Amino acid sequence: MSAKPASDGIRLSPDDSVATVLRAIRKGETIVVGNTSLEAIDDIPLCHKIALVALQPGDRILKYGETIGEATAAIRPGAHVHIHNLRSLRARAR
Amino acid sequence: MSRNEPSFQGYRRADGSVGVRNHMLVLSVGGLTIPTARRIASTIKGAVIVGFPYNAGSLLGDDRATWKRAMFAMPLHPNVGGVLLIGDNPPLTAEVAAHVEKSGRPYAALTLDDCGHDAVTLTERGMRAAARLAMQISADKRVPVPLTALTLGLECGRSDPSSGLVSNPLLGRMADRMVDAGGRAIIGETVEWLGAEHLLERRAATPEVAKAIHEAVRRREETAIRNGLDLTGNNPGPTNIAAGLSSIEEKALGNIAKSGTRPIQGVLAYGEAAPKPGCWVMDAPAYASESLTGFTAAHAQLMLFTTGVGNSFVSALSPTLKVSANPETCARVGEQLDLDASRVFLGAETPEAAADRLWQRLLEVADGAATWGEILGEGDEVVARYGPAM
Repeated sequence: MSAKPASDGIRLSPDDSVATVLRAIRKGETIVVGNTSLEAIDDIPLCHKIALVALQPGDRILKYGETIGEATAAIRPGAHVHIHNLRSLRARAR
Repeated sequence: MSRNEPSFQGYRRADGSVGVRNHMLVLSVGGLTIPTARRIASTIKGAVIVGFPYNAGSLLGDDRATWKRAMFAMPLHPNVGGVLLIGDNPPLTAEVAAHVEKSGRPYAALTLDDCGHDAVTLTERGMRAAARLAMQISADKRVPVPLTALTLGLECGRSDPSSGLVSNPLLGRMADRMVDAGGRAIIGETVEWLGAEHLLERRAATPEVAKAIHEAVRRREETAIRNGLDLTGNNPGPTNIAAGLSSIEEKALGNIAKSGTRPIQGVLAYGEAAPKPGCWVMDAPAYASESLTGFTAAHAQLMLFTTGVGNSFVSALSPTLKVSANPETCARVGEQLDLDASRVFLGAETPEAAADRLWQRLLEVADGAATWGEILGEGDEVVARYGPAM
């Protein structure tokens, strides 16, 4: 059995702005997520998220078809999405 | 017995509950006697020690209620065959002993006060009492029992995104199967409902249950805000973040998949037993040791526990099956994982096929097969504690 996944990443819902990568991705690689392919513009460790669309600061970020936080910076497709450019909307003093 | 019939081989107790193990439990009712209880348990083959580190008399409010609920639940856990109570507070030890007496469990109770406040004397008397109880319960036999007798505790710890993608949905299938067989399933970790509570609320059996779920999340979130806590870095914690989880919402959406798809019957207090079959949620702390003990106190006989990067902790009283789908983790901690679901992650096995394997393994463990956590002795019980004490 190969230890390489059938797809490089998984988009859990059609609405999702990110995919989860199923193997460690190198910057510059072209990866396949479902029916689309895109170039990774950052290194993305196993199980981390890659942006599938362009996002502006304040935009909701969707995974599982649900909000997992908001963008805190402009995010280009193919970028690593994590705590440096995504923040939780919960348990914040209002 | 055929695997097609929803049954397993268990120990029927005098009080009607059914165990998947026949533990000789050494239970320290107070904190001062934990070292002695540990020493006694280490001398009796197969004995399990559980210690409550605080003095119930000093605890206040919720802590006192939680302590009492959990303490009274431990010696009557279905997986316990016999109990030696060791205490530093005679009236309290007598109160627990009277509760055990009513259940019909074989037991003995000793206090430091009975032994001239000498831990060596307590050790000697405790060893003799525990040995006699162990001899007595060794005659107990397993009998065929329907799955309706089972409560399943569902936990995740040191999660990563593979938990939400594969392992937790796999546990959700186990929860659904257990509920469909007439048993009970419980998830806890309230803070890990934040951002996913609307999905739990939609599954609530009644509007009151939906409201209770909403309120439990609101209370937990307000506690975080009141304490000035930024959840990012706390939950998800540093290990979760390194593994790729970016927010509590992302973690929660993966977490709640453990609960499956069946209606949610109600919100349980920490350590409260589910009063009827079905899927339940427990309003409880998220840290795995406290969370599992909440399920143990609720008399869950079996635990399923997913991990992203590895988590060796298990319940002391309830066999805990570990599951991971992260290929790197599965390659690294082979003597921790009772099910390797990495082939699902890699697209080489269907979730349904992995669910069949896990269900089979769960029933084998119910029948007596050991988990890695049992073999390696990674079990403990840790009762949640919230506020100041006297």
